[in-house]
Amino acid sequence: MGTLPQLIEEDIQGLEEAQRELLEKSEATTALVIDKGGFLISSYGDARQFDLTTIAALASGAYLANQTIANLVHEPNFNSVYQQGERYSMFVLSVDEYCLLVVIFKALVSVGVVKYFALPAGEKIAVQMKAALERDPGNGLDLSVLNLADTAELFKRKS
Amino acid sequence: MAIINQATKELQVKIVYYGPAMGGKTTNLVQVHDHVQTAAGNKGKLVSLATSSDRTLFFDFLPIEAMSIKGFKTKFQLYTVPGQVIYNTTRQLVLRGVDGIVFVADSQYEKMPENVESFSNLDENLKSLKLNLSDVPYVLQYNKRDLPNVAPVEYMEFLLNNRDVQAPSFSSVAHKCEGVFETLNMITRMLLHKFVSQATPQYA
Repeated sequence: MGTLPQLIEEDIQGLEEAQRELLEKSEATTALVIDKGGFLISSYGDARQFDLTTIAALASGAYLANQTIANLVHEPNFNSVYQQGERYSMFVLSVDEYCLLVVIFKALVSVGVVKYFALPAGEKIAVQMKAALERDPGNGLDLSVLNLADTAELFKRKS
Repeated sequence: MAIINQATKELQVKIVYYGPAMGGKTTNLVQVHDHVQTAAGNKGKLVSLATSSDRTLFFDFLPIEAMSIKGFKTKFQLYTVPGQVIYNTTRQLVLRGVDGIVFVADSQYEKMPENVESFSNLDENLKSLKLNLSDVPYVLQYNKRDLPNVAPVEYMEFLLNNRDVQAPSFSSVAHKCEGVFETLNMITRMLLHKFVSQATPQYA
Protein backbone atom coordinates (compact mmCIF):
# COMPACT_ATOMS: atom_id res chain seq x y z
CA MET A 1 0.00 0.00 0.00
CA GLY A 2 1.53 3.28 -1.04
CA THR A 3 1.19 6.61 0.64
CA LEU A 4 2.97 9.94 0.66
CA PRO A 5 6.73 9.51 1.02
CA GLN A 6 7.37 12.98 2.33
CA LEU A 7 6.12 16.54 2.37
CA ILE A 8 8.22 19.62 1.80
CA GLU A 9 7.68 23.27 2.74
CA GLU A 10 5.77 23.98 -0.47
CA ASP A 11 3.30 21.16 0.27
CA ILE A 12 2.62 22.31 3.81
CA GLN A 13 2.12 25.89 2.60
CA GLY A 14 -0.35 24.67 -0.02
CA LEU A 15 -2.30 22.65 2.53
CA GLU A 16 -2.36 25.48 5.04
CA GLU A 17 -3.56 27.95 2.41
CA ALA A 18 -6.50 25.68 1.56
CA GLN A 19 -7.28 25.20 5.26
CA ARG A 20 -6.98 28.93 6.00
CA GLU A 21 -9.38 29.82 3.20
CA LEU A 22 -11.84 27.17 4.38
CA LEU A 23 -11.84 28.46 7.96
CA GLU A 24 -12.20 32.09 6.85
CA LYS A 25 -15.16 31.41 4.59
CA SER A 26 -17.00 28.88 6.75
CA GLU A 27 -16.18 30.30 10.21
CA ALA A 28 -15.17 26.82 11.30
CA THR A 29 -12.73 26.48 14.22
CA THR A 30 -10.07 23.99 13.16
CA ALA A 31 -9.18 22.14 9.98
CA LEU A 32 -6.94 19.07 9.87
CA VAL A 33 -5.48 17.13 7.00
CA ILE A 34 -4.92 13.57 8.13
CA ASP A 35 -3.71 10.34 6.61
CA LYS A 36 -6.22 7.48 6.49
CA GLY A 37 -3.73 5.49 8.57
CA GLY A 38 -4.35 7.96 11.42
CA PHE A 39 -1.42 10.39 11.13
CA LEU A 40 -1.91 14.12 11.51
CA ILE A 41 -0.38 15.80 8.45
CA SER A 42 -1.32 19.43 8.87
CA SER A 43 -3.55 21.50 11.12
CA TYR A 44 -4.84 25.07 10.93
CA GLY A 45 -6.91 27.19 13.29
CA ASP A 46 -7.42 26.74 17.00
CA ALA A 47 -5.23 23.82 18.05
CA ARG A 48 -4.96 24.57 21.76
CA GLN A 49 -8.25 23.23 23.02
CA PHE A 50 -8.20 19.91 21.12
CA ASP A 51 -5.91 16.88 21.26
CA LEU A 52 -5.31 16.82 17.52
CA THR A 53 -3.10 13.71 17.46
CA THR A 54 -5.81 11.62 19.08
CA ILE A 55 -8.57 13.21 17.01
CA ALA A 56 -6.63 12.27 13.86
CA ALA A 57 -6.32 8.63 14.95
CA LEU A 58 -9.97 8.36 15.95
CA ALA A 59 -11.38 10.30 12.98
CA SER A 60 -9.58 8.08 10.48
CA GLY A 61 -10.83 4.98 12.32
CA ALA A 62 -14.38 6.33 12.42
CA TYR A 63 -14.30 7.25 8.73
CA LEU A 64 -12.94 3.86 7.66
CA ALA A 65 -15.44 2.01 9.86
CA ASN A 66 -18.31 3.97 8.31
CA GLN A 67 -16.96 3.38 4.85
CA THR A 68 -16.88 -0.36 5.55
CA ILE A 69 -20.49 -0.22 6.75
CA ALA A 70 -21.45 1.66 3.58
CA ASN A 71 -19.83 -1.10 1.52
CA LEU A 72 -21.73 -3.74 3.48
CA VAL A 73 -25.05 -2.07 2.67
CA HIS A 74 -23.98 -1.79 -0.99
CA GLU A 75 -23.60 1.97 -0.90
CA PRO A 76 -20.85 3.00 -3.32
CA ASN A 77 -21.32 6.75 -2.89
CA PHE A 78 -19.59 7.38 0.42
CA ASN A 79 -17.08 10.14 0.97
CA SER A 80 -17.91 11.98 4.19
CA VAL A 81 -18.99 11.65 7.81
CA TYR A 82 -20.82 14.32 9.83
CA GLN A 83 -20.87 14.21 13.61
CA GLN A 84 -23.42 16.60 15.09
CA GLY A 85 -22.74 18.01 18.55
CA GLU A 86 -24.28 20.54 20.94
CA ARG A 87 -21.07 22.58 21.28
CA TYR A 88 -18.83 21.42 18.46
CA SER A 89 -19.56 19.37 15.39
CA MET A 90 -17.19 17.63 13.02
CA PHE A 91 -17.22 17.00 9.30
CA VAL A 92 -14.82 14.50 7.73
CA LEU A 93 -14.34 14.51 3.97
CA SER A 94 -12.32 12.08 1.90
CA VAL A 95 -9.79 14.07 -0.11
CA ASP A 96 -8.17 11.24 -2.07
CA GLU A 97 -7.15 7.63 -1.64
CA TYR A 98 -4.85 8.44 1.27
CA CYS A 99 -6.09 11.59 2.99
CA LEU A 100 -9.03 13.05 4.86
CA LEU A 101 -9.99 16.64 5.63
CA VAL A 102 -11.42 17.04 9.14
CA VAL A 103 -13.30 20.24 9.99
CA ILE A 104 -14.25 21.04 13.59
CA PHE A 105 -16.82 23.82 13.92
CA LYS A 106 -19.08 25.35 16.52
CA ALA A 107 -22.57 23.88 16.55
CA LEU A 108 -23.95 27.35 15.71
CA VAL A 109 -22.18 27.27 12.36
CA SER A 110 -24.25 25.76 9.58
CA VAL A 111 -23.06 22.35 8.44
CA GLY A 112 -24.25 23.23 4.93
CA VAL A 113 -21.79 26.11 4.79
CA VAL A 114 -18.97 23.90 6.05
CA LYS A 115 -19.76 21.24 3.46
CA TYR A 116 -20.03 23.85 0.71
CA PHE A 117 -16.57 25.29 1.39
CA ALA A 118 -14.96 21.97 2.38
CA LEU A 119 -15.45 20.52 -1.10
CA PRO A 120 -13.24 23.06 -2.96
CA ALA A 121 -10.76 22.99 -0.08
CA GLY A 122 -10.59 19.21 -0.41
CA GLU A 123 -9.96 19.55 -4.14
CA LYS A 124 -7.07 21.97 -3.53
CA ILE A 125 -5.60 19.64 -0.93
CA ALA A 126 -5.90 16.71 -3.33
CA VAL A 127 -4.02 18.66 -6.01
CA GLN A 128 -1.22 19.50 -3.55
CA MET A 129 -1.01 15.89 -2.36
CA LYS A 130 -0.87 14.65 -5.94
CA ALA A 131 1.99 17.06 -6.63
CA ALA A 132 3.83 15.73 -3.57
CA LEU A 133 3.23 12.16 -4.63
CA GLU A 134 4.37 12.73 -8.20
CA ARG A 135 7.43 14.76 -7.25
CA ASP A 136 9.56 11.63 -6.95
CA PRO A 137 7.75 8.92 -5.06
CA GLY A 138 10.56 6.40 -5.00
CA ASN A 139 13.34 8.78 -4.16
CA GLY A 140 11.96 11.16 -1.64
CA LEU A 141 13.37 10.18 1.71
CA ASP A 142 16.07 12.34 3.17
CA LEU A 143 16.73 11.17 6.67
CA SER A 144 20.40 11.94 6.54
CA VAL A 145 20.09 14.23 9.56
CA LEU A 146 18.54 11.49 11.64
CA ASN A 147 21.05 10.56 14.31
CA LEU A 148 20.82 6.87 15.09
CA ALA A 149 24.10 6.72 16.94
CA ASP A 150 22.50 6.22 20.31
CA THR A 151 19.46 4.03 19.82
CA ALA A 152 20.29 1.26 22.26
CA GLU A 153 17.44 2.46 24.43
CA LEU A 154 15.03 4.66 22.56
CA PHE A 155 12.45 4.32 25.26
CA LYS A 156 13.56 4.06 28.85
CA ARG A 157 11.60 2.70 31.75
CA LYS A 158 11.24 5.04 34.70
CA SER A 159 13.47 3.82 37.50
CA MET B 1 3.88 3.98 5.62
CA ALA B 2 5.34 6.63 7.88
CA ILE B 3 4.65 10.29 7.30
CA ILE B 4 7.83 12.28 6.78
CA ASN B 5 7.37 16.01 6.96
CA GLN B 6 10.58 17.65 5.80
CA ALA B 7 9.08 21.08 6.39
CA THR B 8 8.63 20.57 10.12
CA LYS B 9 11.31 17.85 10.48
CA GLU B 10 8.78 15.36 11.77
CA LEU B 11 8.68 11.62 11.31
CA GLN B 12 5.51 9.76 12.32
CA VAL B 13 5.59 6.00 12.59
CA LYS B 14 2.76 3.52 13.22
CA ILE B 15 3.37 0.34 15.23
CA VAL B 16 0.56 -2.19 15.65
CA TYR B 17 0.42 -4.77 18.46
CA TYR B 18 -1.20 -7.87 16.98
CA GLY B 19 -2.03 -11.29 18.43
CA PRO B 20 -4.71 -13.57 19.83
CA ALA B 21 -7.41 -12.42 22.24
CA MET B 22 -6.37 -11.91 25.87
CA GLY B 23 -2.70 -12.28 24.95
CA GLY B 24 -1.56 -9.01 26.56
CA LYS B 25 -1.55 -6.45 23.72
CA THR B 26 -3.42 -3.79 25.67
CA THR B 27 -1.34 -4.58 28.78
CA ASN B 28 1.81 -3.77 26.77
CA LEU B 29 0.44 -0.32 25.92
CA VAL B 30 -0.73 0.30 29.47
CA GLN B 31 2.74 -0.57 30.80
CA VAL B 32 4.46 1.66 28.25
CA HIS B 33 2.09 4.47 29.13
CA ASP B 34 2.61 4.01 32.88
CA HIS B 35 6.38 3.55 32.89
CA VAL B 36 7.92 5.35 29.93
CA GLN B 37 10.42 8.06 30.75
CA THR B 38 9.64 11.16 28.71
CA ALA B 39 10.27 14.83 28.65
CA ALA B 40 7.17 16.76 29.66
CA GLY B 41 4.52 16.62 26.98
CA ASN B 42 6.08 13.82 24.93
CA LYS B 43 3.64 11.17 26.06
CA GLY B 44 0.08 11.31 24.87
CA LYS B 45 -3.02 9.93 26.45
CA LEU B 46 -3.78 6.24 26.16
CA VAL B 47 -7.10 5.99 24.38
CA SER B 48 -8.97 2.69 24.58
CA LEU B 49 -12.05 1.90 22.57
CA ALA B 50 -13.09 -1.03 24.73
CA THR B 51 -16.21 -2.84 25.87
CA SER B 52 -17.56 -2.49 29.41
CA SER B 53 -15.54 -5.58 30.34
CA ASP B 54 -12.31 -3.95 29.13
CA ARG B 55 -11.97 -6.03 25.98
CA THR B 56 -10.63 -4.05 23.05
CA LEU B 57 -13.49 -3.27 20.67
CA PHE B 58 -11.76 -1.19 17.99
CA PHE B 59 -8.24 -0.30 19.06
CA ASP B 60 -6.08 1.19 21.81
CA PHE B 61 -3.97 4.16 20.82
CA LEU B 62 -0.90 5.66 22.49
CA PRO B 63 1.20 8.41 20.88
CA ILE B 64 4.76 8.78 22.28
CA GLU B 65 7.88 10.57 21.18
CA ALA B 66 11.40 9.12 21.41
CA MET B 67 13.79 11.46 23.19
CA SER B 68 17.14 10.17 21.98
CA ILE B 69 16.73 10.72 18.25
CA LYS B 70 18.27 13.94 17.02
CA GLY B 71 17.46 15.65 13.73
CA PHE B 72 13.82 14.67 13.49
CA LYS B 73 10.96 14.94 15.93
CA THR B 74 10.11 11.25 15.88
CA LYS B 75 6.59 10.39 16.93
CA PHE B 76 5.53 6.81 17.44
CA GLN B 77 1.86 5.87 17.34
CA LEU B 78 1.19 2.58 19.10
CA TYR B 79 -2.04 0.73 18.28
CA THR B 80 -3.52 -2.58 19.35
CA VAL B 81 -6.10 -4.60 17.46
CA PRO B 82 -8.99 -6.57 18.94
CA GLY B 83 -7.89 -10.19 19.19
CA GLN B 84 -11.23 -11.96 18.90
CA VAL B 85 -11.71 -13.76 15.61
CA ILE B 86 -14.97 -11.95 14.78
CA TYR B 87 -13.31 -8.53 14.65
CA ASN B 88 -11.26 -9.21 11.54
CA THR B 89 -12.58 -6.23 9.57
CA THR B 90 -11.53 -3.97 12.43
CA ARG B 91 -8.04 -5.49 12.43
CA GLN B 92 -7.73 -4.76 8.72
CA LEU B 93 -8.69 -1.11 9.32
CA VAL B 94 -6.14 -0.68 12.10
CA LEU B 95 -3.38 -2.26 10.01
CA ARG B 96 -3.79 0.38 7.33
CA GLY B 97 -0.59 2.46 7.12
CA VAL B 98 1.33 0.16 9.48
CA ASP B 99 5.11 0.50 9.62
CA GLY B 100 6.02 -2.15 12.18
CA ILE B 101 4.31 -4.97 14.07
CA VAL B 102 4.70 -6.52 17.50
CA PHE B 103 3.09 -9.94 17.57
CA VAL B 104 2.12 -10.73 21.17
CA ALA B 105 1.73 -14.48 21.61
CA ASP B 106 0.22 -16.16 24.67
CA SER B 107 2.75 -18.67 26.06
CA GLN B 108 0.20 -21.04 27.59
CA TYR B 109 0.20 -24.47 25.92
CA GLU B 110 -3.52 -24.45 25.21
CA LYS B 111 -3.22 -21.10 23.40
CA MET B 112 -0.86 -22.37 20.71
CA PRO B 113 -3.60 -23.00 18.10
CA GLU B 114 -4.87 -19.43 18.66
CA ASN B 115 -1.34 -18.04 18.30
CA VAL B 116 -0.82 -19.86 15.03
CA GLU B 117 -4.24 -18.84 13.71
CA SER B 118 -3.68 -15.21 14.65
CA PHE B 119 -0.24 -15.15 13.01
CA SER B 120 -1.67 -16.62 9.84
CA ASN B 121 -4.51 -14.07 10.00
CA LEU B 122 -1.91 -11.28 10.25
CA ASP B 123 -0.23 -12.58 7.10
CA GLU B 124 -3.58 -12.68 5.25
CA ASN B 125 -4.60 -9.21 6.40
CA LEU B 126 -1.28 -7.74 5.33
CA LYS B 127 -1.73 -9.31 1.92
CA SER B 128 -5.16 -7.68 1.63
CA LEU B 129 -3.30 -4.36 2.07
CA LYS B 130 -0.73 -5.40 -0.54
CA LEU B 131 1.91 -5.81 2.15
CA ASN B 132 4.01 -8.80 3.03
CA LEU B 133 5.48 -10.03 6.31
CA SER B 134 8.90 -10.12 4.72
CA ASP B 135 8.66 -6.38 3.96
CA VAL B 136 7.20 -5.15 7.25
CA PRO B 137 9.55 -5.23 10.26
CA TYR B 138 8.08 -7.29 13.09
CA VAL B 139 9.03 -8.63 16.48
CA LEU B 140 7.60 -11.59 18.38
CA GLN B 141 6.83 -11.36 22.07
CA TYR B 142 6.14 -14.54 24.06
CA ASN B 143 4.03 -13.21 26.88
CA LYS B 144 2.79 -14.62 30.20
CA ARG B 145 6.05 -16.47 30.93
CA ASP B 146 5.20 -16.37 34.65
CA LEU B 147 2.32 -18.85 34.29
CA PRO B 148 2.88 -22.51 35.21
CA ASN B 149 1.61 -24.10 31.98
CA VAL B 150 3.79 -22.31 29.43
CA ALA B 151 5.24 -23.91 26.33
CA PRO B 152 9.05 -23.85 25.94
CA VAL B 153 10.35 -20.86 24.00
CA GLU B 154 11.97 -23.24 21.48
CA TYR B 155 8.56 -24.75 20.73
CA MET B 156 7.03 -21.30 20.20
CA GLU B 157 9.94 -20.37 17.96
CA PHE B 158 9.25 -23.51 15.93
CA LEU B 159 5.56 -22.63 15.61
CA LEU B 160 5.78 -18.89 14.99
CA ASN B 161 9.32 -18.02 13.98
CA ASN B 162 10.30 -20.59 11.38
CA ARG B 163 10.40 -18.40 8.28
CA ASP B 164 13.52 -18.00 6.14
CA VAL B 165 14.50 -14.87 8.02
CA GLN B 166 13.84 -15.19 11.74
CA ALA B 167 12.36 -12.23 13.58
CA PRO B 168 13.73 -11.06 16.93
CA SER B 169 11.77 -12.56 19.81
CA PHE B 170 11.40 -11.70 23.48
CA SER B 171 9.99 -13.45 26.52
CA SER B 172 7.78 -11.22 28.61
CA VAL B 173 5.54 -10.84 31.60
CA ALA B 174 3.69 -7.77 30.39
CA HIS B 175 1.68 -7.11 33.54
CA LYS B 176 4.99 -6.79 35.45
CA CYS B 177 6.49 -4.71 32.60
CA GLU B 178 9.11 -7.40 31.93
CA GLY B 179 10.13 -7.56 28.28
CA VAL B 180 7.80 -4.71 27.30
CA PHE B 181 10.43 -2.03 26.70
CA GLU B 182 12.90 -4.52 25.19
CA THR B 183 10.27 -5.39 22.57
CA LEU B 184 9.34 -1.77 21.87
CA ASN B 185 12.96 -0.69 21.57
CA MET B 186 13.72 -3.50 19.14
CA ILE B 187 10.84 -2.74 16.78
CA THR B 188 11.59 0.99 16.80
CA ARG B 189 15.27 0.35 16.10
CA MET B 190 14.36 -1.96 13.21
CA LEU B 191 12.01 0.66 11.78
CA LEU B 192 14.45 3.52 12.01
CA HIS B 193 17.25 1.52 10.42
CA LYS B 194 14.88 0.50 7.64
CA PHE B 195 14.00 4.14 6.95
CA VAL B 196 17.62 5.24 6.99
CA SER B 197 18.73 2.42 4.70
CA GLN B 198 15.96 3.41 2.26
CA ALA B 199 16.88 7.06 2.45
CA THR B 200 18.82 8.74 -0.29
CA PRO B 201 20.83 11.67 1.09
CA GLN B 202 20.16 14.87 -0.83
CA TYR B 203 23.81 15.75 -1.26
CA ALA B 204 25.25 12.28 -1.85
